[in-house]
Amino acid sequence: MLRSRKARIGASLLTLALLASACSSRDDDDAATGDEGSGGEDTESLIPTDHCATDPTEEIEGDVIKLVSSYPQSGQYAAYSEIARGWMAYFDKVNDEGGVQIGDRTFTIEYETADDQYNAAETAANIDRLVGPDGDGAFAVFSVVGTANNVAIRDTLHELCVPNLFAATGSPQWGNPDYPWMIGSTLTPYTIEAAAFAELLQEIKPDAKVAMLRQDDDFGDAYEAGFKMAIEGTDIELVEVQEYSPGTDPTPQVTSLANSGADAFLNGAALLPCPQALTAKEEAGWEAITWVSGTCLSKTLMGIAGEAGADAYGASNLKDPLNPDWDDDPAMQEYLETVQTYQPDGFDPENAVVGYGYTQAAIFIEALEQAEAPTRLAVMEAMYDLEVSDVGLLLPGVTIRTSPDDKFMGETVQLAQYEWTGPDARNHFVPQGDLIDYEGRTAEVTPEELINS
Amino acid sequence: MQLFLSQVINGVGNGVVFATVALALVLIFRTTRVLNFAQGEMALFSAYISWKLTTFDLPVWVAIGISMAIAFVAGAVIERTLIRPMEGHSPLNVVIITLGLFLGLNALVQLIFGTDPQSMPSPFPKGSVSFIADTRVQKVTIGLMVVLLVECAALWLLLNRTTLGLKLRAVASNPDSARLHGIRAGSMLMFGWAISAAIGALAGSLVASERAALDASLMQVVLVYALAAAALGGFDSIWGAVVSGLVVGVADALTIQYVDALDGIEVVLPLGLILVVLVVMPNGLFGKRTVERV
Repeated sequence: MLRSRKARIGASLLTLALLASACSSRDDDDAATGDEGSGGEDTESLIPTDHCATDPTEEIEGDVIKLVSSYPQSGQYAAYSEIARGWMAYFDKVNDEGGVQIGDRTFTIEYETADDQYNAAETAANIDRLVGPDGDGAFAVFSVVGTANNVAIRDTLHELCVPNLFAATGSPQWGNPDYPWMIGSTLTPYTIEAAAFAELLQEIKPDAKVAMLRQDDDFGDAYEAGFKMAIEGTDIELVEVQEYSPGTDPTPQVTSLANSGADAFLNGAALLPCPQALTAKEEAGWEAITWVSGTCLSKTLMGIAGEAGADAYGASNLKDPLNPDWDDDPAMQEYLETVQTYQPDGFDPENAVVGYGYTQAAIFIEALEQAEAPTRLAVMEAMYDLEVSDVGLLLPGVTIRTSPDDKFMGETVQLAQYEWTGPDARNHFVPQGDLIDYEGRTAEVTPEELINS
Repeated sequence: MQLFLSQVINGVGNGVVFATVALALVLIFRTTRVLNFAQGEMALFSAYISWKLTTFDLPVWVAIGISMAIAFVAGAVIERTLIRPMEGHSPLNVVIITLGLFLGLNALVQLIFGTDPQSMPSPFPKGSVSFIADTRVQKVTIGLMVVLLVECAALWLLLNRTTLGLKLRAVASNPDSARLHGIRAGSMLMFGWAISAAIGALAGSLVASERAALDASLMQVVLVYALAAAALGGFDSIWGAVVSGLVVGVADALTIQYVDALDGIEVVLPLGLILVVLVVMPNGLFGKRTVERV
């Protein structure tokens, strides 16, 4: 009896250790630094190729461009898998319409994905397997979700000179010049989001006292650092910051923030904790100008918050399928038709992440068509020479511009405010004011160490 | 003072959640001597069934009732098909099976119900009532508290005041002796799993209601806190689980408010508690001491 109990307790402790590691979203795989990156500022081409283990100027054999991706398809973060629904639908449509043209050759897009459960170690293993040791398995890596996850694969892909495109997080790290073979997506860098909130406060409450809820990881770090930088030299004060771990209910943190005397709330929570924080704010009777992070601008999440989310601000650069103003918009109709045709089951095309994935595919197709040759180098060069508007669900007036000195795509944002009119209504974010243009300014509003990390 | 009280109330709100899951853990331990790591995910599955039923416009209580009935049967089936064959083997085998169930059920939930978070309606009225010193208590918290107390009283009566409960405890304490007394040990173990699965279904559904939403990660962190509560209370005490659930919840909320050093890693608290309790008083605060005859 006693022995079996000891055995059980031992097993329990082991399991708890396992559980704790499984529940933690953090990954220690941050050790990768860009030391061996060749910089490339003063070389002829922006994109260094001398170190490449493969020949990046080699033309694609055959008529297929093979993309691979790794993202959470199960586990806590599986909701992000809907991003891929959007891009898959777009590529399928392009293929059905005859493919994409690079120079005088026509290609179809093929894709293969793997599930990493948002675990960076698994992402690295997946990408190693999909790309192969010689880089023969894929032309490029597309839309890998997660900051730590992209960090975990960037060294390998850099050495192979396999493009890592449209990294699906808003981390300002994707501007790091040491990694020219990787580039982010149209997701607004977190620091620009923070700057946009600071700018809004300057206008409506220049002496605001702000309380902030943030995730306890690099997403939270960037958000907090960006906001602190944005309020430097203003009368806005950050009075309290609380962190929460993904998977927990942040109500006690919000109670603490509500009692800090703050009159503005920067809600930097992602997934379920975001609406839970809004509900907790309402329950605490806390009146505050509220901002929600871009990761929360979803029909599902704001729907869960319901009335508690009313009047919250956020920023985006995409058309919201929930906004009736776009009902007659040809681009919106094409989007809905495409996702319903090619990805018909089990998800809601009105969720913003689907439209985000769809838009990345549309921009990538533009880049491919602009590329001078069907080679990795030429496609990468095209990615640094983008000037794209009116594709996918990009808002009118938003232009995606990249250049060798500016790798950031999502630098123009539209402020919007959540309008809640009833539990069964088509509640959505209503655009406020004009577009805010931070084009080329991400580096200005971001602490340098965040970009170069 | 008001802030302190607000955080205590928050803690109680979370603590009730931990306590309901701890209760299911304790129940299965008391009736079968198994620590069921899959308890959280079984509860998650049931919560999804409750949610699904509410989407067919069934009232929440009815949905939870049906889900509890399904869980009751499923619990019995799990015992009969997965746990029973391990009888007579090392208890580690059962631990590994429950861990397998933990992973398998979570994956199954996502396959069947999808990966998007869903809103869960609450069986309790919305809003709050005022409490001392300008603080407010959510009606949901009060509702959960009442359910928890009723649950505890019913279970206590079942285990301590009925013949069935006596048989359950007899089998848990010594299956062979119980068999010699003519008790059908197999049926009792099956009943133990069935009833704790049903209690788990109630717990899971109420956790989802309290959080107003559910996704596949709902129970994972809750399970760690519930294990801490069960360990603190002593794995075989029903009232211990409840009191400890509340203690863990309140301690967590106060840590978040007052201990900046643990910002973002508050989960250290339950893990630390488990460790300390196991080392200092292995029977927990309310557990019975077992005396070994040499």
